Amino acid sequence: MNKSRVFLYVLIAIPICLMIIPTMIVLGVALIPTGVAFLVERGKGYYAGLTVGCMNLAGTSPYLFDLWFKGHNVQAATGIITNVFAWMMFYGAAMFGWAIYTTTPSLVSTFMTMTSGRRITALRAQQRELVQKWGPDVESVYEPEGGKAHPADHAAAAAGAK
Amino acid sequence: MVRDRFTIYCDRPIPSLDMPNALAYEVADRKQEGRPLYALVCKPEMPTRISVMRVLKGLEVPSVLHMVDWGVAEWPPIDRKCVIVIYHRPMGGRVMDTLASSFKRIPDHQFARMIVKPIADGLVELGLKGVAHRAIRPDNLYFMDEARTKIVLGDCVTAIPAHDQPVVMETIESGSALPTGRGGGNYTDDMYAFGVSILILAVGRNPLQGVPDAEIIKRKIATGSYATLVGDERMPVSLIECLRGLLTDDPEQRWQPTNIDLWLNGKRLTPIQAKAEPQSQRPLRFADMEFHSIRPLSYAMYLNWDKAISIITDGTLEIWIRRGLELNDLADGIAAAIKSSMAMAGGNKSDMEDLIVARVLMLMDPKMPVRHRDFRCFVDGFGQSLAVTMLRKQKIQPHTEFISRDLWRHWIGAQGIKQAAENQQYENLFRDLKNYLKDPNSGAGIERCVYELNEWQPCMSPLIDAQYVMEVKGVLPALDNATKSANTKLWPVDRHVAAFLRARYAKGTGTQIDAMNDSRPDRATIGMLSVLAIVQWRLGPETLYNLAGWCGGLMGPVINSYQNRNKRKEIEKELPKLVRKGNLAELYNFLDNPEERQRDAEGFNWAKTEYASAERMIYDLEHGQVDRQESAIKSGRQMGAAGAFVIMLLTLLITILTKLL
Repeated sequence: MNKSRVFLYVLIAIPICLMIIPTMIVLGVALIPTGVAFLVERGKGYYAGLTVGCMNLAGTSPYLFDLWFKGHNVQAATGIITNVFAWMMFYGAAMFGWAIYTTTPSLVSTFMTMTSGRRITALRAQQRELVQKWGPDVESVYEPEGGKAHPADHAAAAAGAK
Repeated sequence: MVRDRFTIYCDRPIPSLDMPNALAYEVADRKQEGRPLYALVCKPEMPTRISVMRVLKGLEVPSVLHMVDWGVAEWPPIDRKCVIVIYHRPMGGRVMDTLASSFKRIPDHQFARMIVKPIADGLVELGLKGVAHRAIRPDNLYFMDEARTKIVLGDCVTAIPAHDQPVVMETIESGSALPTGRGGGNYTDDMYAFGVSILILAVGRNPLQGVPDAEIIKRKIATGSYATLVGDERMPVSLIECLRGLLTDDPEQRWQPTNIDLWLNGKRLTPIQAKAEPQSQRPLRFADMEFHSIRPLSYAMYLNWDKAISIITDGTLEIWIRRGLELNDLADGIAAAIKSSMAMAGGNKSDMEDLIVARVLMLMDPKMPVRHRDFRCFVDGFGQSLAVTMLRKQKIQPHTEFISRDLWRHWIGAQGIKQAAENQQYENLFRDLKNYLKDPNSGAGIERCVYELNEWQPCMSPLIDAQYVMEVKGVLPALDNATKSANTKLWPVDRHVAAFLRARYAKGTGTQIDAMNDSRPDRATIGMLSVLAIVQWRLGPETLYNLAGWCGGLMGPVINSYQNRNKRKEIEKELPKLVRKGNLAELYNFLDNPEERQRDAEGFNWAKTEYASAERMIYDLEHGQVDRQESAIKSGRQMGAAGAFVIMLLTLLITILTKLL
């Protein structure tokens, strides 16, 4: 990025920032948890920041709209950031986002385990039907390429098919 | 009952007409009541001469007992079928009851007319029909009339040729063989037996009665048959020439029926000079005896089998033949035989020695039968000998050795170039037999050999031997009958049935019997069914209910060869219906339907693939735990982020709407 283009961006951004100072004040206070989330989980992708950020923003949005529709000035922004309920809203929403971020993997994992167990049961039933119709000669033990299945796997496979 | 015409009364035996291998009974002819007949019921352990019966049946051969008919019929006393031969009954009885009994001498001037002429005429007629009688002996001659004037030759079909002949009645060579191994023989053998019979009748008794067989042969070899038999007896002068002619030991010089005719017409024939055997000046001492010529030594070596090997292997015999008899070709032959036998006969010393002795004896006296310890048999008598041995359930090892140790080939080799065509025929035959013997499968083995060698040998399978099955088309009905008493867990096609079918109907059953020998039980079982099915399809009968039931019960392996369990159940359900039809071909087609087989195979392959695929998926599901955890975390975070984003959008939307409305 050349210097002239950076200068152009700064030149555009400064007036905008000056125009939206009240919004910036509110967001600056409200989105602290989002920044923390980005910083804390930065090695594991941006999902933490995204999740917490979305919820954080959702919690901030009623106050932001109030600011924009009822008088966009520094006094109103100060009023919001000094309101304890507003803080509770900002950080409560962010907490909820964090909760979502931490609980969904285990929920998904549990779900996936449940579905694979059911799939194995279905496959075993299908195998049992095949053996009943075609006899034990259809049975085979899967051995992945590059290595043999563990003996316990054979036993499990045989037991599963019966 | 034979041929629905002759009723045989098993409670009315006629012991005076019994034969050594057949018992005589009274017979009633339904068509011609009062006709003097009698039946000979053949013993099952002795093969009969069916081919001769087919020639002689109904023929009125002069001076030969008239065979009215023959047939195979149920014989209640032994609860099985037997060959029964119906003869015209000789009202005058036997000429001599036994060879041990005496006979009232016929006046010399009547002898030729009463005895010689009719029998010679009979032999001429038999010769014209290509039949050798081989049972000419005084106790098998009969008077057809009660006045005892018309003499006839008796039965010759109830036993294999020459089996019942005492050694005295046989030539040196034939007498040296076992009774079962004398072979078919020919008219010269009949002429010899005729000569001995004349001599016994002329003398009124058997001059060699009580002399052991070996001694008779020894004497015949030493002094010739005529001298041995006549001995010190007073012979009618008129018969001397005839007897000399008939009892000549050289078959080429022996009188033929034409010579008898000339003699009867008073023409004097040139006296026969016996060919002198080469004599050695220096005797060979063996078994405490001294020998000057080959033949007596050969016979002595046979009688002293265990001692013979020593003079063979130490070179005494070879040197004596070379120097004493100057028979260098024979000496060379013996040396070569010893050498090749030593190389051939594996590791067993005793077997090797037996082979050497047998081969040397063949070379020393090629006219004699194959002699191998106690086994003495002509090559052409081997088949009958084997049949009798198997029927009597005796040890068959000497017969298997005869084939496997090439005794036949050595014997043929010893015959020189004479009868080359016949020898080549034997060569081909025994080469095939050797192959059968090596083959352990059903349809081969010693069973195949016996059927190949004996055209009319009935099937000896324990399942159907009591039903005397001589033809292929009789096998299935016999098996059908046998179902009641047979162990139906065993196959109806046993080794004997398979060999019988292969020998008699190779074109029709060869492939099926090969299939029967498959190592896979299902293929073998369906092969067995196919053997029976093809015979029924081609030769009938249309229905075989019992046999179909028997086969149906054995089809377990075939049913189980279908992989599809539902198909198995379907077959098991359908099988009894097909069995009730009694059609084996239909049963076979149902069980071995190629389309069904293919469908089953394809289905099975599909099922295997499906199973393997499921197995793989299960493996993946069970072994993908760690990956799934990582995937769950990643997906969970993505889903969390997406959920949060959606919540944010909804919140923004609701807030905007709230503000605007």
